[in-house]
Amino acid sequence: MDYALVQAANGLVLGIIFAVIAVGLTLVFAVLKIVNFAHGELYMMGGYFAYYAIELLGLSPFPALAAAIAASFLLAALLERTLLTPLYSETTERKAEYGILITFGLSVALRNLALIVFGPFPLRPPSFVAGVQQWGPLILTNDRLVAGGVGLLVLMAVVYIMSRTAAGHALDAVSQSRESAAIVGIDPRLAYTLGFGLGGALAGAAGALMGPIFSLSPSMGILPDTQAFVIVILGGMGSVPGSIVAGILIGLLESLFTAFFPDPTRALSYSNAFGVLILMVILILRPTGLLGRRHMQME
Amino acid sequence: MTDSPVPDETLIRADAVHKRFGGITAVDGVVFAARRGELVGLIGPNGSGKTTLVNLLTGHLAPDSGEIFLGGRQVTHLPAYRRARYGVGRTFQMSQLFRRMTVLENMLVPGLTFPHLSREVIAARARAHLRFLGLNHLETLPARSLSGGQQKLLELGRALMLDPTLLLLDEPFAGVHPTLRDGIIERILQLHASGRTFLIVDHDIEAIQQLATRLVVMARGRVIADGSPADVRGNRAVLAAYAGT
Amino acid sequence: MRRVRVPVVLALAAAAVIYAQVVSSYWLHIAIVSMIYGILAASWALLAGYAGQFSFGHMAFASLGGYTSALLVQWTHLPIPLGMASGTVVCAVLGSLIGWVCLRMRGPYLAIFTLAFAEIVRIILLTEYAVTNGPAGLRVPHLLGTPAKLPYYYIALGLLAVCLVTMSALAHSRWGFFFRAIREDEEAAAASGVHVVRAKMYAFAAASSFAGLAGAFYAHYIGILTPELGSPDQMGLVVAMAILGGIESLPAAVGGAAGVETLQEALRSAGAWRFVLFGVLLLVTMRFFRNGLLQPAWQRLMHAGASEGKVT
Repeated sequence: MDYALVQAANGLVLGIIFAVIAVGLTLVFAVLKIVNFAHGELYMMGGYFAYYAIELLGLSPFPALAAAIAASFLLAALLERTLLTPLYSETTERKAEYGILITFGLSVALRNLALIVFGPFPLRPPSFVAGVQQWGPLILTNDRLVAGGVGLLVLMAVVYIMSRTAAGHALDAVSQSRESAAIVGIDPRLAYTLGFGLGGALAGAAGALMGPIFSLSPSMGILPDTQAFVIVILGGMGSVPGSIVAGILIGLLESLFTAFFPDPTRALSYSNAFGVLILMVILILRPTGLLGRRHMQME
Repeated sequence: MTDSPVPDETLIRADAVHKRFGGITAVDGVVFAARRGELVGLIGPNGSGKTTLVNLLTGHLAPDSGEIFLGGRQVTHLPAYRRARYGVGRTFQMSQLFRRMTVLENMLVPGLTFPHLSREVIAARARAHLRFLGLNHLETLPARSLSGGQQKLLELGRALMLDPTLLLLDEPFAGVHPTLRDGIIERILQLHASGRTFLIVDHDIEAIQQLATRLVVMARGRVIADGSPADVRGNRAVLAAYAGT
Repeated sequence: MRRVRVPVVLALAAAAVIYAQVVSSYWLHIAIVSMIYGILAASWALLAGYAGQFSFGHMAFASLGGYTSALLVQWTHLPIPLGMASGTVVCAVLGSLIGWVCLRMRGPYLAIFTLAFAEIVRIILLTEYAVTNGPAGLRVPHLLGTPAKLPYYYIALGLLAVCLVTMSALAHSRWGFFFRAIREDEEAAAASGVHVVRAKMYAFAAASSFAGLAGAFYAHYIGILTPELGSPDQMGLVVAMAILGGIESLPAAVGGAAGVETLQEALRSAGAWRFVLFGVLLLVTMRFFRNGLLQPAWQRLMHAGASEGKVT
C-alpha cells in the first residue's frame, strides 16, 4: 500500500510533466494544424540545453532551466522559419502530408545529430535541489517535487498566456480561422512562429526538468513523444485543458500500472506500452479522438 | 417504352433525419423525398443545413436518428460508395476533383468501378461525356489547371460516369463565370430531359428558377416550404427566414 | 497505363548481371541490402505515395516478417522458404487488420496510430527476450548453405523483380487508379463509387506482405535479427529513401533506396553523421523537391517520345 502511495505521487509528478509536453504538442496542432513528430526531440534538446548551460556556462540549475526554455523556444522558432513556411503558402498542396513527413524527418535528423554531438552515453545533470522529502510512508525526491512544482507553474503560465495576453488571443484566433485572424490584423505567419516556438519551449522545459530525474540520452524523446500523442488524442487535439487533465491522468495510470503489474521485470517496459495501447484503443473506437475541438482540415 | 403512365416513383427519401455537430443541430427532423423525373431546387440561407442534408442523403454523413431510403430500400447506414453504385451521383460545394490526375483520369475513376467493362469502353464513354460537357480538348490537363466553371463541369461529368438516376448537385454555379453558368444550366436541362432526376442546392435564385419545378426551402435545419416556385415565393415563413439572416 | 520500355529493362538486367560478375563480395553485399531496402521503399511508396496512407508501421512488418520466419524455422524446422512465405502471409493478414482498423483515421491520426503500433511491436520484441533474445539479437539460420554472396544476390534480384512486377501491376490496375483517387480526395473517391474500404485494405495488405517478405529474407541473409529493425530510425531511413527517389513512382523509390544505401556505405566512416545527412536530405527534398529527386528523370526515361498522360 505504501508502495502504491509512492507510485501515485510519482505518477502525479510524471503526469504534470506529461501535461506540459502534451500542451506544447496540442498548441502546435491547434495553431499550425500539424502533428509535430519531432516534439520528443525538442524535449530532448531542452534537457541537453540545460545540461550544457550548467557544464559550459557555469549556470546553476534554475537559471539553466530558464536558459534551456529560451533556447528551446528559439530553436523551435528557427525550425519553423526554415522548414514549415510552406504550411501557410496557398500553393502548397496536401499540407497534412507535408507536416507529417517533414517533422518525422526532422526527428530523425535531430536525434542522430544529438547522438553525434552529445554522444550515446546517458548524461545526468546535477540536481535542482539535492535530497528527499518524507511525509510518513511517502518519500519523494526534491527533484521530483521541483519538476512537479515548476511544471504546474509552467502550465499556469500557459493558461494565463492563452487567455489573458494579446499573443495568446492571437494564437487562439489563428487556431480557429487563419483567414479571419488575418482580416482582423493578426499576422498568421508570426502566430505560426510563436505557436511553434511556444510548443518547443514547453517541450524543452519538460526535458530540462526531467534531466536530473531520468538522465539524458539522444533517444529519450521517443517514448514521451508517444505518450504525448496518447494524451493529446485523449484530451482532444487542440484542447489545452484537455491535455492537462489527460496528461495527469495518464501519468497516474501508468505509475499505478507499474505498481500493480504482476511481473516486476517487465513492468517498466510494459507500462510504456500501456499508454500506447490506450492510444490504439481510443483511435479504434473514436478515429477522430475524444473531446476537444473538431479536427479541422488543412485544405 | 409502354404507353401506360409511369407510376409516381420515389427515388430517394429522408425520414425524420437528425444530425448534430457538437452543440449545433444542422439537420432537425427533416422529411424529404424526391420523385423520378423531378428537378428540385434546395435553397435557404447560409447554415440552414442544405449541404448536411445532401451529405446525409449520399452517405457521406450518418444521421444521428431517422432513416434514408433509396428507391424503397433502407440505406441509412450504407456507405457512400455503395449508394454511388446504386445510381446516386453528386458534386461537392467546393470542387473536390482528383486535382493532380488528368481530366480524363478523373472521369475514368468512377468508370473503372464497373468491373465488367473494359478500359477502352470506359475511356470511350468518358470521352463522350467530356464532349457533351465541352471539356474534351482539356483531356490531358491536370484537373487543378481548369477554371472554376470547368472544374464544376468536370465534377458533373465524373458523376455522370456512374450512369446515375439521381444527381445531387451542391452549388454547381458558385463562383462560375456567367457564360459558363449558362452552359451548365443548359446541360442540366438536357440531362433532365433525357430522364435523370436532380436535386440542386444553390444560392443563385435566378438559375434555380430557370431550372426547378419544385423548390424546397430550409432554414435552421428544418424544411419550411416545399412546393412550386410561385408558392414558395409568396411564403411568409420563407421571406422571414431570408430576412432574418 | 504506362508501357514499360523493354529496352530499358533489358539494359538494367544486363547491367545487374555484369555488376555481379565484376564487383567484390563487399559490393555484392551492398547491392543485396540495397535491393532489400528497395522492396521496403517501393512497398511504402505504394502505400503512401499511391494510396495516401502514410503509415509509420512499415518497418514493424519487416520486423514481424523476420521474427515470424526465424522463430517458425527454429521451432518447427520448417524449410526456410516456407518460413519466409509464412512470415509474408502473417504480415499480409496483420496488415489487412491494421488497414481495417485505420479505415476512418485521417492522415496525422493514421501516422500516430501506426507509429504507436510499431513501438508496441518493438517493445514486445525487446521485452520477451526469452523468445526473441531481445536486444542481443536472435540467431537466424541462413537461407543457403554457402557463405558466398553471389547466390544471395541473384535471389535478392529475383525477389525485387517479382515484388516490383507485382506492385506495378497493382499500381497500373484499376486498384491503382482507386489508390490515387483516395489519396487525392477520399470523399470524392467514395462519391465516385470507389470501394474505399477494400482499396485501403488491399493497399495495406500488399505493402505489409512485401515488407514482411523483405524482412524475412533480410533475417535469413544476415543471420541475426534485432528489434531495431522496426525502430523509428529505420522507418525514417526507408521514408527518406522513398521520398528522395520519389514516392509516386515505384522504380524511383527503388532507385532512392539504392542511392541512399550506397551513400550510407560510402560514408560508413562518418558513423552517425549518415543519419543526420539523410534526415537533412529528406528535409531539403521535402522542402524543395516534393516529387523526389529521381522521379522526373525516370519519367523522362520512360516517356521519351511518348506523349504525357495518354491512356490506351
